[in-house]
Amino acid sequence: MKIKELISELQDFYLLSARGLLVAVKKPFYLKDMIEQMDYAGAGSFVIIFLVSIFTGMALSLQLSAELSSLGLKMYTGKVVGISIIREIGPVTAALVYAGRVGSGIASELGSMILGHQIDSLRVFGVDPLKKLVTPRILSSIIMLPVLTIIGDVVSLCGGYYIAVFVSHQSGTFYWSSIRDVLTFENVFAGSVKPFIFGYLIACISCYMGLSTKGGSKGLRKSTTRAVVVSIVMIIVSDFILTRILLYVLGFSV
Amino acid sequence: MIVFDKVWFSYGIHHVLKDISFTVGENERIAILGESGEGKTTILKLILGLIRPDAGKIIIDGEDITNKTEDELREVRMKFSIVFQEGALFDSLNVKENVAFCLREYSKLSEDEIDHKVRELLRIVGVEQAIELMPDELSGGMHRRVAIARSLAACKPKMFLYDEATTGLDPVNADIICKLILDLSKNGRGLILVTHKIFDAVKIAERFMFLKDGIILFDGDKEELVHSTVPDIQIYLNEVSFSGKANKSGG
Repeated sequence: MKIKELISELQDFYLLSARGLLVAVKKPFYLKDMIEQMDYAGAGSFVIIFLVSIFTGMALSLQLSAELSSLGLKMYTGKVVGISIIREIGPVTAALVYAGRVGSGIASELGSMILGHQIDSLRVFGVDPLKKLVTPRILSSIIMLPVLTIIGDVVSLCGGYYIAVFVSHQSGTFYWSSIRDVLTFENVFAGSVKPFIFGYLIACISCYMGLSTKGGSKGLRKSTTRAVVVSIVMIIVSDFILTRILLYVLGFSV
Repeated sequence: MIVFDKVWFSYGIHHVLKDISFTVGENERIAILGESGEGKTTILKLILGLIRPDAGKIIIDGEDITNKTEDELREVRMKFSIVFQEGALFDSLNVKENVAFCLREYSKLSEDEIDHKVRELLRIVGVEQAIELMPDELSGGMHRRVAIARSLAACKPKMFLYDEATTGLDPVNADIICKLILDLSKNGRGLILVTHKIFDAVKIAERFMFLKDGIILFDGDKEELVHSTVPDIQIYLNEVSFSGKANKSGG
């Protein structure tokens, strides 16, 4: 029975994920809803992404400076910080923050709409809830998470710079030139593909969890928690899979 | 005309409706009574095709809607106007935007025409002054009245469906809603009122159905209801006689 339920849930999830994206090309276009979602997801997440990124960059730079100093390789701090942030830490950190803030918001909003019969009202009025509610959230996540990731990367590198120059007493010019060296097509491509996938995953998971809410406020709590937990796990798992694929595609030897 | 033909419906392992069959005429005013969780709202959802029965047929105006797709059901749904329990207003939109929702979605009216239409509908239900308020700023009675206005904007319904339209309201507001429901069905349009408040049901309906344990325990008019000897209905009737006495002593 449990396996049957799981398969049925997965099937519903795949259908929602695929249809949510495919109906984006069909009329009507809910542009106003999408802009509203972009504002909530993007502008609303800016401060928290800024804070998390700057401290992540500073902590990473601090750790690496300490470790590399003992090996006499302190001048590589910029390079290692750059590669780590652009390829891995930046996209994952931004996605985790996004899942916590925006994913939970999507799930709880849609969940309360289910419980309050608002989704039923939409259906009665002949409006496709998937097109009206899910598609704008998927599209806004696919657009805004990469933007937030770029902002987060820049802020993290600045945080790393502050530690490298003012705490570890390295050359600022050398730090930035190391960063410039790692801004190759391969590294930038590897870091910029991930946020699109993460954004899509977070939006689909959160919408699905929200729309499958049942059982009052307890059910809403459960679906919101599930949305965040499943999103976080999927970010980490898909990050590993994507890293493996990208390293292979871009010709890196492991 | 609505026909339920041997309809079964269950939530998981819990059978809510068991082999239910009934027919509702276009101009009938029906109240579906029963305790919470007896499947009253489920019947409304089945009529609108929001959920599908496990077995049996639902026929609306001669068309079997049981296996219709979401697009095909759109046309069926336009025949009805529903007011969900507690209104189900979109809480991110204000009263005007809620009522204008369908007009903006489907009509080609200008903003001025929409504004005029919304004000007219709100005037009919008596909450014109609340046009700029958000749903959470409305009282329970106003909430229902706005929901009725929104349902009127949606289409030109043949029949009204009300899910617990007066539940949770004080007697004054409940009375206002009952009068409004009666006024709206004056021009021959039928209604189905789902409620557990028999006192409000007898004010509005002319036919009564009583659901218990997934079956229709009673189906008849007011006279038959009053003289029913079914114990579960007797409990409900006691509420009416108590309310009647209270009214007499109060008046």
